[in-house]
Amino acid sequence: MQYQYINSYSLLAAGGLFDFDATLSFIALEFLLLTSVLNLIYYQPISKVIDSREDYIRENLNKASLYLDQANELTKKYELELITARKEAIKMVTTSQTEAQEFVNAQISQAQKEAQQLIQSSMMQFEKEKNKAIYSLEKQVEQLSEQIKNKLISIYI
Amino acid sequence: MLISSVKVGEHFYFTLGVFKLHAQVFIVSFFVILILILFSVLGTNKMSQTPRGLQNFLEYVLEFIQDITKSQIGEPHYRDWVPFIGTLFLFIFVSNWSGALIPWKMIILPEGELSAPTNDINTTAALALLTSLAYFYAGISKKGLRYFSRYIKPTPILLPINILEDFTKPLSLSFRLFGNILADELVVSVLTLLVPLIVPLPVMMLGLFASSIQALIFATLAAAYIGEAIEEH
Repeated sequence: MQYQYINSYSLLAAGGLFDFDATLSFIALEFLLLTSVLNLIYYQPISKVIDSREDYIRENLNKASLYLDQANELTKKYELELITARKEAIKMVTTSQTEAQEFVNAQISQAQKEAQQLIQSSMMQFEKEKNKAIYSLEKQVEQLSEQIKNKLISIYI
Repeated sequence: MLISSVKVGEHFYFTLGVFKLHAQVFIVSFFVILILILFSVLGTNKMSQTPRGLQNFLEYVLEFIQDITKSQIGEPHYRDWVPFIGTLFLFIFVSNWSGALIPWKMIILPEGELSAPTNDINTTAALALLTSLAYFYAGISKKGLRYFSRYIKPTPILLPINILEDFTKPLSLSFRLFGNILADELVVSVLTLLVPLIVPLPVMMLGLFASSIQALIFATLAAAYIGEAIEEH
């Protein structure tokens, strides 16, 4: 087995643990190159995708909230319309009910009036007939009583 | 037959012109970069509004990084620093995990051995120095010369300590990461040397956990330093 012992004086020399040489600057250059290459092929395209996705999501979210607002407004509007329509319907029903009631009442009162008139006129007719009959009866009674009187007179005289 | 051995500070040297480089660091770091680029390309080639599969994973990781930067730097400026902090996190994380998960030691180098790039002080020092540069740049570009007034705040007595801080920040960043990863690999190697089977597993799990935490710590601290430099008093 191979062992390499670390000597303090050889640490910085070639083959030592802390052997600084041109490797340092070349690694630095290599690293800077890697940074620019990765920036071109990794960070920029990926962050562009992430940003565009964020924009897309934000846009859609805005659109969705806009649509929601519109929907809410429409619902409110239609609810209002529904309420007014219902009110109108109720009004129409009540007016037509009262109209019908009035019509019926008018008809009934007219019929009652007519009936009353009919009764009255027939009563009057009846009275007239009665009076006529009484009058003619009185005349007859008068005639008869005259005849009776005349007959009695002729008998006793 | 040698299955495991402990090699500390041995490097596979590679000369590029006048520069001496640690080749094992570059081999593994190129592998790490390849993985990162492969994931990015596969995850972004068919992107859709509703994420699925790898795209979903990449988005999750990016949002995690954005959360770190946003909480440390704050709302208006954090977006500029997401690439830097994100690459710090991803590079360190994938390096640490590749060092722990991939049996690099099966590939035999003439000298030294393959392991996590963060196992080399040069890598961690490079990342820490870049962090220092980043927070100086952030502060000066935001406030101009007014940035340097923070050295005498809250009192001028603290000037030496405030200056010292600029040195301790990169030092602590680099040594924390380097020490953690090196110690983890050493512990695992030594344990494997003693008992090759089963016993090192809990330590390996702990190592995975610790190395992911180290990546998070490095990224969070870098973001915190940048946020501190930008912040208005």
